[in-house]
Amino acid sequence: MATMLLNKMELEELRNDHRWVVIHPLDDAPETKVDTAALGPMKMTLSVRLSLMSLRAYLILMLLLVFYRVFCQAGFFGLHV
Amino acid sequence: MTNKLIPLAAVDVEVEATSVRGTVVKSKWLHSLLTFLVVFGPGLIVMVADNDAGAVSTYSQAGAQYGNHLLWIVALLLPATYFIQEMVVRLGIATGKGHAAMIYQRFGKWWGLFSLVDLELVNFLTLVTEFAAIDLALNKMGVDPRLGVPLAAAALILITVSGSYRRWERTVVFLCLLDLAWFYIAFMMRPEWGAVARSSVLPSMPPGGITADLTFLVIAIVGTTVAPWQLFFQQSCIADKKLRFADLRWARLDTFLGACVTVTAAACMMIAGAASHTHGFHFTDPAQMAVDIGSFAGPLIKNLILLMMINAAVLGTTAISLSSAWAYGEVQGWPHSLQLPFSKAKGFYFVYALCVAAAAGLVLIPRAPLQLIILGVQVLAGVILPSAIIFLQLLLNDRELLGDYANKPWNNVVNWTIIVVLFALSLILAAQVAAPNLFPTIS
Repeated sequence: MATMLLNKMELEELRNDHRWVVIHPLDDAPETKVDTAALGPMKMTLSVRLSLMSLRAYLILMLLLVFYRVFCQAGFFGLHV
Repeated sequence: MTNKLIPLAAVDVEVEATSVRGTVVKSKWLHSLLTFLVVFGPGLIVMVADNDAGAVSTYSQAGAQYGNHLLWIVALLLPATYFIQEMVVRLGIATGKGHAAMIYQRFGKWWGLFSLVDLELVNFLTLVTEFAAIDLALNKMGVDPRLGVPLAAAALILITVSGSYRRWERTVVFLCLLDLAWFYIAFMMRPEWGAVARSSVLPSMPPGGITADLTFLVIAIVGTTVAPWQLFFQQSCIADKKLRFADLRWARLDTFLGACVTVTAAACMMIAGAASHTHGFHFTDPAQMAVDIGSFAGPLIKNLILLMMINAAVLGTTAISLSSAWAYGEVQGWPHSLQLPFSKAKGFYFVYALCVAAAAGLVLIPRAPLQLIILGVQVLAGVILPSAIIFLQLLLNDRELLGDYANKPWNNVVNWTIIVVLFALSLILAAQVAAPNLFPTIS
């Protein structure tokens, strides 16, 4: 087991020689990833639209509940929670 | 894959293009073991950090109030937490970007801003509770919190601004492994292991049936095991560590092992709580529980529980603050890597240090409204969790984005089931906190 600097050709030779190389991700050459910036916003299918609409409804409901709690605390409904 | 592939911009780390540093080994199994060890980290950290100060309090309270009866819920949460974080692993490896950046790019500014503001707010409030726990534990250990809390905050900032991801990861993994002390604590409580095993696999109802208190505690257990910041943290951590497609299976294993450790440690906390109850103590907070347990198990166990409480808060703080700093850096387009020295990522490190210092400072203010903050954490976490998970699920079904790494039909069945349950529970939690009188007590 030895740690060393290896170029592409040496890596290939080691592979052919049935030896294995462990490379830490931070030491490895950058990998090609999905180009997310080029994709732009997601195309909204019906299911995505429905999901986001239900999420908005959920958030509105939550805000109403929080306001209800605040108003109760303030004694607007004649009761303190 | 249908998407366009581009070389990852190496703007923040200098990479030698022609050669790489590697360790040559002769056997395949050693190669697999060493590869796992270099990939290992983000999964363990996100899972163990999830057992933060709030979690210690929730699990030990559950044990103190209901003995071993709720252990099966913790066992059920193992697959739930694993499947959710596994999606984050795939997304992080495929895109090399954080979760906040993904929401901004795929769902637009409104949802991006909402997710970011919600995350930053709930994270900050959670950080305050972490430092409140450190304050509480230090008090019980006879250490002045006015000295101990700033010291803890300074240490947390120092381990992060070293400009080395590896140094930060090694330090935090070491702290995660200290969490194994919970196994020793549970062992020293001398529970009936047969009963513990039975309660872990066979669902049982505590004496007294379903009450509002029990419902609240069950929701709190679920809420503390699956937290919104975890999604943001692990994806950013994977992006920062630059995990490769080939690392996916090891990253999954890392996440699975982390889930096993965190769920087992949670069960140990419940066992400790149950032991204090068996000896006739009433639960008020985990620091007092440590003192109570110390009266029959000895000062070593008392101090160990208090230290574990501090360790849990420290781990929670570093992970939560980093999830805030990474998310903010991604959205602002700032350099945001632990590999960068302070001078090259000032904004990123400033956000991290600000989160830690402000939360620590708030705790030291006499008569700070800590109870109101804890309430705020519960409500906001209830609001953010379902929305964060819905975005995750939508992103994981985005074939344009993930191609072959998108969810399979069986993934969706499992994940939507988890989402519906979490959605219902967090709705009940938020409603119960926002308007407690809506729910009558059933017994």
